[in-house]
Amino acid sequence: MSEFYGIKIEDIFNSMKDRFRPEGAAGIENTFGYAIKGIGGWKLTIAKGAMAVDKTDDLSGCDVVLDTDGETFVGLTIGKVDAMSAFTSRKIKVKGAFNTFGLTSRMFHKYMTPGQETRQAQEMIALKKTISVNQRFATGPVFGKFLKGLKEKKILAVKCPVCGRLQSPPREACAICRVRNTEWVEIGPKGEMRMLEYCYYASPDPLTGETRETPYGAIGILLDGCKDEEVFWHLLRPDQLGKVKMGSVLNGKVTHGTRLRPVWNERRTGTIEDIKYFEIDE
Amino acid sequence: MEKNFDTTDCYLINGKLALPYTYFAGRVGSTFITTIRDNHKIMGVKCPTCDKVFVPPRQTCERCQADIQNNWVELGNIGKVINYTIVRYDDKHLPRKAPFVLAMIQLDGADTPMVHILDEVDPDAVIEGMKVRAVFAEKTTNTILDIDHFAPV
Repeated sequence: MSEFYGIKIEDIFNSMKDRFRPEGAAGIENTFGYAIKGIGGWKLTIAKGAMAVDKTDDLSGCDVVLDTDGETFVGLTIGKVDAMSAFTSRKIKVKGAFNTFGLTSRMFHKYMTPGQETRQAQEMIALKKTISVNQRFATGPVFGKFLKGLKEKKILAVKCPVCGRLQSPPREACAICRVRNTEWVEIGPKGEMRMLEYCYYASPDPLTGETRETPYGAIGILLDGCKDEEVFWHLLRPDQLGKVKMGSVLNGKVTHGTRLRPVWNERRTGTIEDIKYFEIDE
Repeated sequence: MEKNFDTTDCYLINGKLALPYTYFAGRVGSTFITTIRDNHKIMGVKCPTCDKVFVPPRQTCERCQADIQNNWVELGNIGKVINYTIVRYDDKHLPRKAPFVLAMIQLDGADTPMVHILDEVDPDAVIEGMKVRAVFAEKTTNTILDIDHFAPV
């Protein structure tokens, strides 16, 4: 039997003439032998940008000989068999210059099974859609007070009655001490740069689906009145991405970061975007 | 619910999340849809090894992982309700006004069910095993809704 995957071995060799690409064979002067177990041999001669293929069992003069079975050979041709795994599992053996064999792939157009062209021309369905989801964000009393503060150009934080740490944006409780936060303090609005993240992939805003322009800088700012980890997250003015210096506290040694100030939106509606971004305070 | 805290600062922010995307049906999915649209025929794929017919069609057999994308078989428009649910709320992403029935329908000759709308029947009268037929849409949307719905035989 010389038919595998519904393809005759002969068809692959007989179609070589039609699939030949002279431009891909430029400069190649080689003979390639194909020994297909139990079926026979073919000899491919490439010279001066032309080709010839002959059915012959005498492959002794070939520069390189591919020794394989019919199923693997057809599988390789139509892409059902991976060349590397066929080689490592010794389903293909190559006698002669192994790398020379790689040249054959650029000397020929891909073998197409009869009917494959029509399959490729089939209509493909791709639907462009925009999902629209109604969203509702309920602030609750604590976050609501914080957002109202932004409307009045104030950055508010809650203070833990036990450990005294500040949280902004505020939370109802101090998760470390497990007590309700009751005291409010105003922080900032200026501060110093502590952390900077370059964001190259912006996820969509859950309220609008819009994404920011990238890259943008998400920054941690130690606002005046805060200490240690009490940083406030916001955005850096996009054109100042490369111009800021991060501050740190290492073994009690304080390195100050760039001083920053908020840029407020003219129209403030009580959202985190009431602050456009932070910029260098000069 | 009675609120035992000061709600002075509570308020709501309304938004509309818009997410653009492209759904690509692929080779198998596209054949499935275009055959429904152009020929009013529902096609599945059969795994010859496992002797299973999959509708909606898939590229590989879920049991033996064989490539079955070219083993198309034609199925009739008749099937039965395997399971169903009654959707009792309205939302804009839903294809019908509530209440309506979403049913798992297994076509005669298929081994897997597909989800579709079951219409022309009182939701409370739907029973498992009910015989149903596909009703094709007059206007195409290039989606599975080119079968408009299923209806009792």
